[in-house]
Amino acid sequence: MTVKKNNFVVTISYIILIAYAIATLFPFTWALLVSLAPIKFVDSNGNEKGVNIFDWPPRIKLLPKPSAFGAPLSFQNYKLIFEVVPLYKRWLLNTVIYAGLLTIGNILLNSLGGYAFARLQFPLKNFWFTMFLATMMVPGQVTLIPQYNLLVKYGLVNTYTGLFLPKLTNIFGLFLMRQFFLNFPKELEEAARIDGSGILRTYFRIVVPNALPAVSALAIYTFLGAWNDFQWPLIILSNKEMYTLTLGLNFFKTSYYTYWQYMMAASIFMTIPMLIIFLSFQRYFIETGKAVAVKG
Amino acid sequence: MRYKTKEAIVGYVFAAPVILTVLIFTIYPIIAAFYYSLTDYQPLEARKFTYVFNPYDALEIHTGVLREEAKNYKVDELLSYFDSVSFVEIDVGVKLSDEEKKIIRENFDSLNLLNDYREGRLPQQIKISEFMNRYMKNHGERFTRYVPKFVGLQNFKDMFKDMYFYSSLWNAFLYSIIVVPIQTLLAIILAVAANSKIRGVNVFKSIFFLPAITSSAALSMIFWLIYSKPGILNKILMSLLGNFGFEPIDYLNEPKIALFAIMAMNIWSTAGYFMVTFLAGLQDIPSSIYEAARIDGATGWQIFWRITIPLMRPQIVFVSIMGTIGCMQVFDQIYFLIRNLRNITISFYIYKNAFEYGKMGYASALAVVLFAVIMTLSLIQRKVIKEEY
Repeated sequence: MTVKKNNFVVTISYIILIAYAIATLFPFTWALLVSLAPIKFVDSNGNEKGVNIFDWPPRIKLLPKPSAFGAPLSFQNYKLIFEVVPLYKRWLLNTVIYAGLLTIGNILLNSLGGYAFARLQFPLKNFWFTMFLATMMVPGQVTLIPQYNLLVKYGLVNTYTGLFLPKLTNIFGLFLMRQFFLNFPKELEEAARIDGSGILRTYFRIVVPNALPAVSALAIYTFLGAWNDFQWPLIILSNKEMYTLTLGLNFFKTSYYTYWQYMMAASIFMTIPMLIIFLSFQRYFIETGKAVAVKG
Repeated sequence: MRYKTKEAIVGYVFAAPVILTVLIFTIYPIIAAFYYSLTDYQPLEARKFTYVFNPYDALEIHTGVLREEAKNYKVDELLSYFDSVSFVEIDVGVKLSDEEKKIIRENFDSLNLLNDYREGRLPQQIKISEFMNRYMKNHGERFTRYVPKFVGLQNFKDMFKDMYFYSSLWNAFLYSIIVVPIQTLLAIILAVAANSKIRGVNVFKSIFFLPAITSSAALSMIFWLIYSKPGILNKILMSLLGNFGFEPIDYLNEPKIALFAIMAMNIWSTAGYFMVTFLAGLQDIPSSIYEAARIDGATGWQIFWRITIPLMRPQIVFVSIMGTIGCMQVFDQIYFLIRNLRNITISFYIYKNAFEYGKMGYASALAVVLFAVIMTLSLIQRKVIKEEY
């Protein structure tokens, strides 16, 4: 009886999981399909025809050549978005710079800070730590306006510096690193100290090389967060040259020559790097998924 | 040097970047936000002293005397063409309160300015703050640094009369009340299903994680397409329910539906992500507990409610608090997809007030209220979940 019952549970589980997997994948698949459809194409009779992505049924065919909505599919739109919006290349560069600098700053500064708070004794340590804990409860909307005014005062709006300086450290990141160092075996450092190694040398020679798992997790989360960030760039950047890809999407949406094909190509395009990072570092995501929330 | 002293120095050097950025970009802004919430802070006003202008242009327009010809006039004559208050207000471009007009009338050094004009001693470009500092005999500081007017609790009183304050706060609240329980329950169900000894758990995990790594901007665009009136959702529903009189819905432009459409998208995008948290919790529950319960004759349903759920309390607390904090602050999706002001949430209303209406004092007061609401909600949540189990 138990075997039969177990089979039943397993079947139901598969049904639930597969159904939800389809529900999760469907919007992405549809967006991908639309992004592959051309705006216009020349049919076999040599006539130019427009493509209506709202055609129903969508007439998806994989053979002999992939086609949908009666038009051949291709990756052309991914090339065209760079031509239709000449600034797109710049936006991509801005996003890479923003996410890259933020990641470097965060892993460097948070791991230094995390080590200090986990291992070193210095005056007022507990005071600072309690203060950090307290600030975590304050929602971003509270600090947003004064942060903006501060940057305006020092002429830092519309600059890379203004964009990443306030985000260069992160309390969640600090806690992640501190937690890691707290669980890190103390014996290694003590042995080094007995051998006459100074604090700095111990940190760079022994602690840093062993902290790679935590640092990678922090790097991935910071990069992802910065790549996908919308509200902060929206407030700090008004100059189109300085836009990031998320603001670029907003531009696609508001400009008058919008085509669904381009918008979906831009949406999928900016997701692909994250997908590659996710697939290559999956275990870090899923392990730290418990501790860090990605979306605000 | 003693090891302890060395340690303290290194400790501070290591911690300094974090301490400094938190002080400058978090602690100071929190204090400033509370202060702003008691003032009528206006960003355009705040910037008015930082603009640069050409004093010759301003004086030519004001007096009607060209700069080359100014030296041919006597100062007294120029003075008769000159009015300090209207010069500052109109030609320099600084909006003045009645009190400030009085200060200008009494303290502006018109004589000095007009002499400098006659003799060509004025700079071609000057910041308003510097200019005012130079030509005010007293009280120059009033016109160099913006000090927002202190209004006490007026901003908070204004909220009571502000219909959009009520509707936006309610919308955020409704959003949390609907999204958090559904996404939590869905995540638990998915985790329980994935924990029942099936193959390919990692494949499912990766798929469910996909929306979490996609930017909310891109997700919003994708759902804009799906939710549009001729879009695929309506097409599918038409082919399924068309016979029952289903009519296509314009999900995002229908005020009664728009917010719910975004809630659905939010549940879809976060349930899979939280499922990973629950699955980790489930895997920590020793299987001997389940076996013991089964021997005692517990049904699957009883095991779920009496064993699984209580043992996952830490994860449930974490997910529901994180979920509530996230939902109360939902912004990106609202910015991208909501057209109707009645459907916006509080964080978007704060943004609108601060950066579109130029009412930063009021926006800060709204943010303070949001802060209080979030704090209260997470305290209640912590308590309720603690007591129930």
